[in-house]
Amino acid sequence: MAERPEDLNLPNAVITRIIKEALPDGVNVSKEARRAISQAASVFVLYATSCANNFAMKAKRKTLNAGDVLAAMEEMEFQRFLEPLREALEVYKKDQKGKKEVSEQKRKDKEKKVDSESSKYREEEEADEEEEEEQQRMEEEPEEEEDVEN
Amino acid sequence: MSVAVETPVASTEHDSERCGSEEDNRGVESEERSQQPTGPAAAASVSHNRLSKLPLTRIKALMKTDPDVSLASQESVFIIAKATELFVEMIAKDALVYVQQGKRKTLQRKDLDNAIEAIDEFAFLEGTLD
Repeated sequence: MAERPEDLNLPNAVITRIIKEALPDGVNVSKEARRAISQAASVFVLYATSCANNFAMKAKRKTLNAGDVLAAMEEMEFQRFLEPLREALEVYKKDQKGKKEVSEQKRKDKEKKVDSESSKYREEEEADEEEEEEQQRMEEEPEEEEDVEN
Repeated sequence: MSVAVETPVASTEHDSERCGSEEDNRGVESEERSQQPTGPAAAASVSHNRLSKLPLTRIKALMKTDPDVSLASQESVFIIAKATELFVEMIAKDALVYVQQGKRKTLQRKDLDNAIEAIDEFAFLEGTLD
C-alpha cells in the first residue's frame, strides 16, 4: 500500500514538544502555527531526502547513506546542523554497535549450548555403535565371547 | 537405552531495537536535553532509545514516498530525523523574533510566514504550506 506524502504527518505531540523546548517559558503556540510547522517539517524531510538521493545516485549507489544526508545539509545551506548531526551520529553508531554485540552474544551462547548437547548425543551414539560391533564379533568368534549386558 | 535430545528453547526475548528493525522512537527524550520532561508521555519515553524524538518508521515512510529513493540505511534515516528536529527548533526560534516584535505571547501562523520570507534557508518552504 503506497502512502502519499499528504497522509504522512509527524506526530503532533512530538512536534509540539520540540517547539516548546525551543521557546522560552510563557510563549504559547497557536494551533495553526503548530500545524504549519509540522507540515514544514514534512516538507523538510522530503527536500532533504531528494537532495541526499542525488548524491547517492551521483555515486552510483542505490542505498542512501549518512554521508549523503550530511552532504545534502550543506547543499541546503544548513551547515549549522553538521556539527550536532555528526555528534548524534557517533552516539547512534555506538548504541547500535552495543545492541548488535548483545544480540551476537546471545546468538553465540545459544550456539554453544546446542553444540555441547549435540556432541553429547554423538558420543552416546558412538558408544552404542561400538557395543553393536562387539556383539557381532562375538557371534563370529564364540570362544572369545564376553558377556555384555546391553 | 534411549537418548534424550534437548531442543534448546528459542529465546523469545527480542531486543526491540536491534539492527534491521526500525522501531518507533515515539516521544523520546533527547540526551542533549537538559530540561526536565513534563507530562505523562515523557515518563513513558525514557525507557526507549534516547537519541531521536521523531519516530524513525514514520520518517522512513515519508522518505519512501519519493519514487527515486530505493533504499535508505538506518543511519541515514536517523540523521534525517535528527536534522528535522533541529529544523523545527530553528524555525520556531526564528519565528519568535516576530512574536516579540509584535509584543505578543503566542506564536502565530503569520510569524512563521514572516520567518519563511525573511530567511534564505527557508526559501524551499515557499508555496508548500496550506
